[in-house]
Amino acid sequence: MAAVKRLFQSFVSWIKNLFWKQEMELTLVGLNNSGKTTLVNVISSGEFREDMIPTVGFNMRKVQKGNVTIKLWDIGGQSRFRSMWERYCRGVSAIVYVVDAADHAVIEQSREELHALLSKVQLSGIPLLVLGNKNDLPEALSSEDLIEALDLQSITNREVCCFSISAKDGVNIDITLEWLVKHSKKS
Amino acid sequence: MSGFKKDDDERVNPFANLVKSTVLQEARLFHKSPIKAGKCIPILTKILYLLHQGESLTTTEATDVFFATSKLFQATSLQLRRMVYLVIKELAESAEDVIMITAVVMKDLNSNSPMLKANSVRVLCNVTDPSMLGQIERYIMQAIVDKNTYVASAALVSAMHLMGENKDIVKRWVSQVNEALKSRAVMVQYHALGLLYKIKQQDRLAVTRLVQTLTKQSTLRCPYATCLLIRLASHVIADDPSGVPDTSLFDYLELCLRHKSEMVIYEAARAICNIPSITARELTPAITVLHLLLGSPKSSHKYAAVRTLNAVAMTHPVSVTQCMVELETLVKDSNRSVATLAITTLLKIGSESSVERLMTQMSEFMGDIPDEFKVVVVDAIRSLCLRYPKKHHMMISFLAAALRDSEGGYEYKKTIVDTIMLLIDQIPDAAESGLSQLCEFIEDCDFPILSIRILHLMGAVGPRTANPSRFIRFIYNRVILEVAPVRAAAVSTLARFGLLCEPLKDAVTTLLKRCMFDTDDEVRDRCAMYVALLEAGASPEDVALVLDDGPLPVKNLEAALLEYQAKPSRTPFNLATVQPDPVAPAARGAAAAGEAPHAEASPAAAAGSPAASSSAAMYAAMIAAVPQLAPLGAPYASSAPVQLTEIETEYQVNVVKHSFAQAVLLQFNVTNTLDMFCLKDVTPVVEFADGDDGLEPIGVVAAPTIAYGAPGTAWVVLRKEATAFPSATFSCTLKFRVLDVDPESGEPEEGDEGEDDEYEVDEVDIAPADYMQKTFVPNFAAAWDKFTDDHQSLELFALGSLGSVAEAVSTLIDLLGMQVCERSNAVKPDAVTHTLLLSAVFAGQVPLLVRIRLKLDQTRTVQMELTVRCEVEFVRELVLSLVG
Repeated sequence: MAAVKRLFQSFVSWIKNLFWKQEMELTLVGLNNSGKTTLVNVISSGEFREDMIPTVGFNMRKVQKGNVTIKLWDIGGQSRFRSMWERYCRGVSAIVYVVDAADHAVIEQSREELHALLSKVQLSGIPLLVLGNKNDLPEALSSEDLIEALDLQSITNREVCCFSISAKDGVNIDITLEWLVKHSKKS
Repeated sequence: MSGFKKDDDERVNPFANLVKSTVLQEARLFHKSPIKAGKCIPILTKILYLLHQGESLTTTEATDVFFATSKLFQATSLQLRRMVYLVIKELAESAEDVIMITAVVMKDLNSNSPMLKANSVRVLCNVTDPSMLGQIERYIMQAIVDKNTYVASAALVSAMHLMGENKDIVKRWVSQVNEALKSRAVMVQYHALGLLYKIKQQDRLAVTRLVQTLTKQSTLRCPYATCLLIRLASHVIADDPSGVPDTSLFDYLELCLRHKSEMVIYEAARAICNIPSITARELTPAITVLHLLLGSPKSSHKYAAVRTLNAVAMTHPVSVTQCMVELETLVKDSNRSVATLAITTLLKIGSESSVERLMTQMSEFMGDIPDEFKVVVVDAIRSLCLRYPKKHHMMISFLAAALRDSEGGYEYKKTIVDTIMLLIDQIPDAAESGLSQLCEFIEDCDFPILSIRILHLMGAVGPRTANPSRFIRFIYNRVILEVAPVRAAAVSTLARFGLLCEPLKDAVTTLLKRCMFDTDDEVRDRCAMYVALLEAGASPEDVALVLDDGPLPVKNLEAALLEYQAKPSRTPFNLATVQPDPVAPAARGAAAAGEAPHAEASPAAAAGSPAASSSAAMYAAMIAAVPQLAPLGAPYASSAPVQLTEIETEYQVNVVKHSFAQAVLLQFNVTNTLDMFCLKDVTPVVEFADGDDGLEPIGVVAAPTIAYGAPGTAWVVLRKEATAFPSATFSCTLKFRVLDVDPESGEPEEGDEGEDDEYEVDEVDIAPADYMQKTFVPNFAAAWDKFTDDHQSLELFALGSLGSVAEAVSTLIDLLGMQVCERSNAVKPDAVTHTLLLSAVFAGQVPLLVRIRLKLDQTRTVQMELTVRCEVEFVRELVLSLVG
């Protein structure tokens, strides 16, 4: 009897998963030192660490938010890895583009890399979330300024959203997650 | 094959019909989420199977699979993760951008699972590049001293692979590696020792120190590591500049003979057998051990032991005789390799009576063994023939049968031909039958190079045989049937018969005329020349010049002729202006006289060979290029390079002595073998040590820079009186500054002033031979008769210490430094009498000739009659005093 019951239970949980459990895959890209790995750490474990070393290649993390499992691909931002961004963006639920909003010197470069990435045919239609990180610093651009600086209005073939966040102070992390969960596909 | 499989039903290889494209298609599953380990593992296995079957992926394919596989790093199944590592490691070489996975793999380095840790170290070292290695090296250093032996071994082995391109980073890990060497784990110790050696390999002294320390401590408990240490010790012994093995190392090897592991025992025995200067007494314990191994039930033991004994039998046949009984049993061993080695060993140590029986046994299974062993057999026969010349009939027919066998590659056939040629040369009775066999062989020979050599030999030996005409048919067949180089050689051979055998002259001329329509230029040219020579009835001297290669190297002859052409002159070309080869005759003499058939492989010959191409013109140009030395002009004599250091030392130095009327110039050629140093201002300092007065160092020209691998030259001028010819010994030291070299750029580091250093080298001897210039005399007898008896000195000597005529001849050639004439350096083995003819010009102007008659008397002492002919009495005295 017990065996039949156990079998039944596992069957029920399987049905449940089928309908309720959602999974999504995200890729985080952006220039080096924009705070991608730090953001991943904050999202997954809520802890902020200042002394990060540059990511060599990519990191990968699984985060459970409610009934959504988020798989995060955090790709290194150094120039040698940028050619590989596309490879990891293929077929994901959303691309998260992180920008150091306080570093005005590299904003232009960031814009170029973003538009170069979005021009790839394989990535057409994938929603884009632009995050202006480090808004705890006084010189950080607001999200409106960032939209201007990155020329986000010109992107018309996909859904685009831009938030100003701070991984350090945990500002706007909640709305970021909310947006992400909303875009999760049913598995 | 398929029928066989059906019989064996269920055991069908599940991967037998894999197709690459299908597997690559399946690999797309890796992108799917969530990951299904159960499905991914078989796909990864298929990829591995394909790769190991030799299937190659294009860069794009490899990169695609690599990235798909890298997505599986998120899986938690350890089994899947292991397969991921194995596949990634295989793909790391062919895929692009493999560095991407660095961060993910590094996470595993800190995991608790030894499996993940060990695999991640291996993969990390495969995907990293030198710029990245600096960032991750501390993790590898930790892994080297990891408690888990798999992790430590993985790190050590990976470090060995990294050595190639990242030598300097790996060198920084020495203290960790030393720590690992103390490990209790067998494999860790072995790998640590291997890596430690690789790190120190370039530095001979460091290796010696390492070996000495380890042999004294006996901390190694691992038999593999012990074997490795024995090999290293054997390297150290072989490289020892003193040539006398360090007794502590020898004691260690002897101690290892009593080790409990058979592997170690064998390795030690082999190492002892390989010591170059080993005596029969020192060899005994090693032979005893090998003797025991011969009786082992394991084939590998028997094989190893008999193989080593086979090699020892070459040099110490008597020591091996104690194993005779066991070797006889092994002849019937079911393993062909063991049996072959046993037979050839027996041939080397056996007595004349057993030869026939062994040869019969051997011919039974010649067909069943690979070429490599056939060569061993032929080598054994070669040494056997020379010992028992009476058996040559049987040997030659054995060799001929082997030669006719259609099986066998070039190396094998070459060894046989070499052996037959040697027999023809050494055993007069064997000449005729040997030649006939070779004739048969070239009728159906696939190797033009062998045909050419045989044709040359026929030309040299054939005309002197009893019935030369029988060879003509074989030679002329070559002209009709073969490729151009062989045809050309055949033409030359035909011509020799025509020139040397009067009865054949007309026939040969007719044949040669037919060849004049050949399609090949070289063949036609040769024909034309020989026909002209045959029809004109050229003088014997001219004929001799054409036929005899003479001791004059063609290269030098060409140089002399070019020089003659460059300066128009009324005097006819004089052969005496051609520089005879300073090294080749002596080396050839040694090869002919020496027992070792591979004398050309000895280091001395190898060191001397570059000198063979160096002619007087080259030296003169080198000297003229140095402004301080230019006033000296060209030397009248230059010695062969004399090594002042052992091979394998940090700095290798040799000296060439140039003689001028009023000076002797020492040319120090220095080679720097250390890539981390650059030498500046290399100045030789010579000091009078012993001998006659009259040579005084008056000037030095330093070598400004000697970088790694780029030899440099420094010079010392010794002044002397024009009329004096002193012999003296000088001690030599090189003084220089050492600069560290930046390993990246290969350039010395900037601002480095360097440290002063000294390097003592062997002494330089200046002997009367250095004032001799070797000159070639086309006709020795005629030149000899030009001198009158007034200009002759004659003396008798007894050369007590020299054991054989051949030895006496080579010693005398070295001592006098004169040119050997009429190939009189070739001594028949066991010759009792011999005449050596030498010629030279002394001090650039006085010609002299020497005739030495040698006789071996009953008491095995060599009696010598030395006759010098020269117009200057002082020179005659000098030559006599040299020998006295």
